Amino acid sequence: MSEHQDMATLTIDGKEVTVPKGTLVIRAAEQLGIEIPRFCDHPLLDPIGACRQCYVELEGQRKLFTSCTTEVADGMVVHTQNTSEPAHEAQVANLEFLLLNHPLDCPICDRGGECPLQDQTMAYGPGESRYVESKRTYAKPVPLSPLVDLDRERCVLCARCTRFCDQISGDRFIELYARGAGEQVAIAAGEDFASPFSGNTIQICPVGALTATTYRFVARPFDIRSADSVCSHCSAGCNVKVDVRRGGVVRVLARDNLEVNDSWVCDKGRFAFGFGDTPDRVSTPLIRDRGLEPAPFGEVFARIAEWSRGRRVAFLTGGRLADEDAYALSKLARTAFGTNDLDHRRHLGGGHAERLVAAESMQVTYRDVERAKAIVVVGLDAEQEVPILHLRIRKAARKHGATVVVIGPHRTRLWDVARHVPCLPGEEAHMLERLLDAPEDDPELGMVSVAVRAAAGDAVVLAGPRVADVPIALDLVMRQANRIGARFTWVSRRAGDRGALRAGVHPELLPGGRRVTDAAERAEVEAVWGELANAMRGRDAHQILEAAAKREIDVLFLIGVDPLRDFPDAKLALRGLQNVPNKVVQDLRLGDLEPFADAFLPAAASFERDGHFTTWEGRGQRIRPVRDPAGLARPDWEIFAGLAEAVGGDLGFPSLEVLREELGGLLAPREGLGHDPGFLFLPPVDHTDKELILFTSPLLVDEGRLSVGADHLKAALEEDAFAEVHPADAERLGLADGGRARVRTEAGEAELPVRVTSHLAQGACFVPFNQPGLAANTLLTGRFTIVATLEPAVEATAGVAAGASSHEGEA
Amino acid sequence: MSDRPIVLTGRWGEPDTVWMDRYLETGGYRGLRKALKMTPAEVIEEVKASGLRGRGGAGFPTGVKWSFVPQDTGKPTYLVVNFDESEPGTFNNRELVERDPHQFLEGAIIAAYAVQSHTAFIYCRGEFVWPGMILERIVAEAYDEGFLGKDILGTGYDLDVVIHRGAGAYICGEETALLSSLEGYRGQPRLRPPFPAVEGLYASPTLINNVETLANVPHVLEKGADWFKGFGSEKSPGTKIFSVSGKVERPGNYEAPLGTTAREVIEELAGGVPGGKRLKAWTPGGSSTPFLTDQHLDVHLDFEEVQAAGSLLGTGAIMVCDETDCMVEVTRRLTQFYAHESCGKCTPCREGTWWGVRVLGRIEAGYGRQEDLKLLDDLGKNMLFKAFCALADGAVSPIASSLKFFHDEYERHIGERRCPVTGKSPGISSEMGKERTDVPHAAEEPEWIDMSEVLR
Amino acid sequence: MESHPSVLTPELREQAERITARYPAGRRRSAVLPLLYLVQSVEGRVTREGLREVAGLLGITTAEVEAVATFYTMIRLRPTGRYVVSVCTNLPCALRGAREVLEAAHRAAGVPEGGEISEDGMFGVHEEECLAACDAAPVVTVNFVNYDRTTPERVTELVEALRRGEEPAPSRGSFPGDFKRMSRVLAGLPPEEAVP
Repeated sequence: MSEHQDMATLTIDGKEVTVPKGTLVIRAAEQLGIEIPRFCDHPLLDPIGACRQCYVELEGQRKLFTSCTTEVADGMVVHTQNTSEPAHEAQVANLEFLLLNHPLDCPICDRGGECPLQDQTMAYGPGESRYVESKRTYAKPVPLSPLVDLDRERCVLCARCTRFCDQISGDRFIELYARGAGEQVAIAAGEDFASPFSGNTIQICPVGALTATTYRFVARPFDIRSADSVCSHCSAGCNVKVDVRRGGVVRVLARDNLEVNDSWVCDKGRFAFGFGDTPDRVSTPLIRDRGLEPAPFGEVFARIAEWSRGRRVAFLTGGRLADEDAYALSKLARTAFGTNDLDHRRHLGGGHAERLVAAESMQVTYRDVERAKAIVVVGLDAEQEVPILHLRIRKAARKHGATVVVIGPHRTRLWDVARHVPCLPGEEAHMLERLLDAPEDDPELGMVSVAVRAAAGDAVVLAGPRVADVPIALDLVMRQANRIGARFTWVSRRAGDRGALRAGVHPELLPGGRRVTDAAERAEVEAVWGELANAMRGRDAHQILEAAAKREIDVLFLIGVDPLRDFPDAKLALRGLQNVPNKVVQDLRLGDLEPFADAFLPAAASFERDGHFTTWEGRGQRIRPVRDPAGLARPDWEIFAGLAEAVGGDLGFPSLEVLREELGGLLAPREGLGHDPGFLFLPPVDHTDKELILFTSPLLVDEGRLSVGADHLKAALEEDAFAEVHPADAERLGLADGGRARVRTEAGEAELPVRVTSHLAQGACFVPFNQPGLAANTLLTGRFTIVATLEPAVEATAGVAAGASSHEGEA
Repeated sequence: MSDRPIVLTGRWGEPDTVWMDRYLETGGYRGLRKALKMTPAEVIEEVKASGLRGRGGAGFPTGVKWSFVPQDTGKPTYLVVNFDESEPGTFNNRELVERDPHQFLEGAIIAAYAVQSHTAFIYCRGEFVWPGMILERIVAEAYDEGFLGKDILGTGYDLDVVIHRGAGAYICGEETALLSSLEGYRGQPRLRPPFPAVEGLYASPTLINNVETLANVPHVLEKGADWFKGFGSEKSPGTKIFSVSGKVERPGNYEAPLGTTAREVIEELAGGVPGGKRLKAWTPGGSSTPFLTDQHLDVHLDFEEVQAAGSLLGTGAIMVCDETDCMVEVTRRLTQFYAHESCGKCTPCREGTWWGVRVLGRIEAGYGRQEDLKLLDDLGKNMLFKAFCALADGAVSPIASSLKFFHDEYERHIGERRCPVTGKSPGISSEMGKERTDVPHAAEEPEWIDMSEVLR
Repeated sequence: MESHPSVLTPELREQAERITARYPAGRRRSAVLPLLYLVQSVEGRVTREGLREVAGLLGITTAEVEAVATFYTMIRLRPTGRYVVSVCTNLPCALRGAREVLEAAHRAAGVPEGGEISEDGMFGVHEEECLAACDAAPVVTVNFVNYDRTTPERVTELVEALRRGEEPAPSRGSFPGDFKRMSRVLAGLPPEEAVP
């Protein structure tokens, strides 16, 4: 009954349609397949009614109405340009206005051929202008950032770009300036369009006013080939379209998927597309004799088989593998090599919660986030780690009024929509408990605590990757979520993380979170894979490298991973590589591993192959090839099948379809695992007053291997390494903003520029994981958090120390 | 006309009527005292019964507007006084504030009480430096006398007043643009619905009234609705301050009952066109209302009759042109105003006003083409009711009405390549046809931004 | 957290806090125009540094402030002179000889037609839209205080008096002082506490 009351039935061009009340006429028309021309309207932005192109006639009304701002009403009769002469005339007239100042440079405009203004002009625009005065001209183009150019002459002032920055990303770096005919998009002088979502403004620009520096004058719509795919840069799973011209990827665009990325993709996903086309891409198998030399796959497989026979083999992977690859590897390691020494993880403290994620018995989706009444973000900087999730949290707050709480050592860029509860790194779980325990009259946390508890089942708790850096912590967070009945998940960061965890690229977990040590669970896998020779928990990533360093590993597979850069203990990684006799690298390129590789297996890039990635939600999404693999490169799962054969095994995958069918059986969500993590005790972080808790996590744009070649992106958004400290700590330690600090940990030391910011918890020190100037893993000993001392670097030390001591002398 | 009824300008003749002591001596704040003894609903009913209509231009019944403001929304309710008087030819709000400011302030306090607002903003036009200083002083006086602040006159009712100055933008007189400006944004109009009464300032219920409207309110309360209805016409009761300017002997503000004929106001009150010249064109309510001619001098100046004559009462600003004025030049100058003041948000207004200036300027300079008349006519039609707000509709008024009444003057400008009225020929008459430097030219950057600073 | 040299003195920053306190809690942004006036009262216009400072005070981006500043004609981003002589040329004033007054103002002030300020920076001349004093047309204002019923001769005298350092009495109100002082008044601060 109430459902009926919430609907409206109206007639558009003689066709009836029933839509929810509140729907805009332009949207209702779309449902009937009637396209009303528009420039400013965008379904994900608030209506503005600025361009005035979408006029329709409403029966019984004297004036015309803009369909992008008019809500439907029951019984409304609408005539679009198709059935109303006045509406049609108004649209033609408005187009004349729009074209008055629009240059006739379509032949050299990147948007030519895919431009709404051009399309409409071709369809019903005037052939010639009736005005004789010259058009408004501006200097062109104005660089807004190393990624985005602005051509003001082409701009129709629809405000899509500025509204995106205001309403969606919250990065209000560009604005409409001035007024009247002088109104224009602009940026503050000397400031950058430093938004990791800037590229979306280019895509939603209805003309060629905003263009991508990576695509200017590069291609025309008719000479590119496209394929629908999924971004492989993180676990957000953005649906994208990949454009290839003459074999090279030239552009990535976001595709609409309201369940996942809406219509957005972050700048890394959009602009870091060159990783398959770099000069150092290796597309043939290599084997080390005198040097690394090309060899057929068969020969390399045979050599690897020789090295491995009866020896101790281990596998490390990164976050690049597709679901099918991970599954094939999980099976390869166990069935062909008889080992559980395999791992894909960086953070090793997963516990029970990790097992539940692996079993897909715990899911939170984008939709859950969007509809949540309260969102608790724990140890996660979504903007940097899973950017589209960041946008969805913003949307929940802005559109639906969700209460957002961020618990962690860092104030994130959710600052304008969230309440931040600072704590030391590693203490997030305790802080969450304190928050939920806070009485209503607690001046600090009371109100927000009440809001979160009241949301109960409509609350969502999102734990970031870093939470699992501390063993037990993830389970503690889950227990707190359970306490109020909130939905909980662990947000993995890399595109392949969740797929690898589900598939069992893990020393203890087989596919579907089944423990290798549990006979019943193991038997479920053995029913498909055959009997497993090894029922012992294997070595995790840290233990594999430790064993390698102690010469307890004979063959180490490095699949899409560079332990020297990725693993949180650089020294251990180096010793490991030095002490393993045979290292097999499987990747797009050799990079830093060139001196260590004894064999190289060329892998296909994500846009060169078929497969799936699983988002942080647990949603599997298909990727499709837009071109053939470079050279002899193959999808990873095919390489694994070849390896299995070489050692006398058989994965049983003649095709991807067969693999998927088998995978589907073992990876079906499992229920009834229990959400109680059992007894938990987390000791407080132990450190002296003079020390800070240094923590690190990757920034969005860093020295990661998939960002190789993305020079424009890096020029726009990559920051050099730095150390952030709280003002109180800075004062205590004699550190100045913009000065340099010597950072010491038990693993090593580094000199870094200092940023003093109150956006950081007191007592903490943040160093990004992998920026130019410092691989932060040289400061770490296996975890991403470590006790550190900071002091002013040499030159500064002299001055400050001298000043301080003389001051003391006087006193 | 010494026997014409005076409501609003009664104190204008006396010296030093500006400040509180004199206002109280002459009966000030009696209306407020009376209103505070009534319930808010009774106050609204009284104003409704008076038939008072908004003086800002649209003529909407004031009491009805007040009754649209919802109560018990859980949000604060705001009163905003629109003192952004900028319509060309209009200057009665300024003089009301300069000569008798407590009158409208008293009305504002009554209005705030009626809608149970506890915070009122006076949006004062930026250029009104002196009127703004007067406001600061009279608001302070009202606090001192207990007409503002906590527990006003012991009634338990609280009201604070904040003066907010604009910074030079005609569009901020449009009420949603005014709200944008008051919230610290560019003064661009917003979508309606939601209407300001429901979601106005800070997305809260908001009543917006013009200064002249509020100046009537103390009298309505003090003397009653029936007294008020004794002036003016049935549907447009009360008096109106007509601002008369241009080619008249005595430009100035003249209060007269609504329904007074234009002839009385122009010829009797303002002394008629000087030098025995013939009146050529006049606006009934500012530049946004279509021109009328000497054929329309007997039109009664109220909302209905002026509309019936093909124009609008608007702000009651009567600008008079005589037979020596070139209507192409006049129209170009007014269009230039709209181009300068267009906020830029929507296409028809932004492009139509600016290109209108260029076409008109070309005709004025003697370079018109025959097809330009159809072009101008289309330009007006394509703007009228097509833009986001009424600014563009106002911009069409001078263009469409001058084309209607003075078509032959345009024709002769084009045919003779010179002005048939002033005799100016190309190159000379274009002196005023030059485009304003602050409307961006071809090949020039707009004045607002030094682009060399933006270009890195 | 880079620290820029401040445009506003500590005292004026205190005033800035009082200005933002006029508006309801959480509505600081409403103070953007008075704060721009405040900065203008120090700089005689609003420079890039001034824009940044206002942005910092309000917790919004520089672009958001500049977007507002460029919308309103009374916020001057370029040098505008100690005395801004505005001549209305809208219809009621045009009908009573404003064009000649504007030309005279340009000549007297030494501001070339199409130019904005005199070489010595003393005068700015602005063609203005209707200033709502059409009974006193042609309308001239100096720093937005009115001089009624001007003629080319009267505006020339006015400019010359200003150049001599005199303070010609306006038709209503008091002599406004220079553009900085006028900006201070517009920020809503008591004029007697003149900017040092």
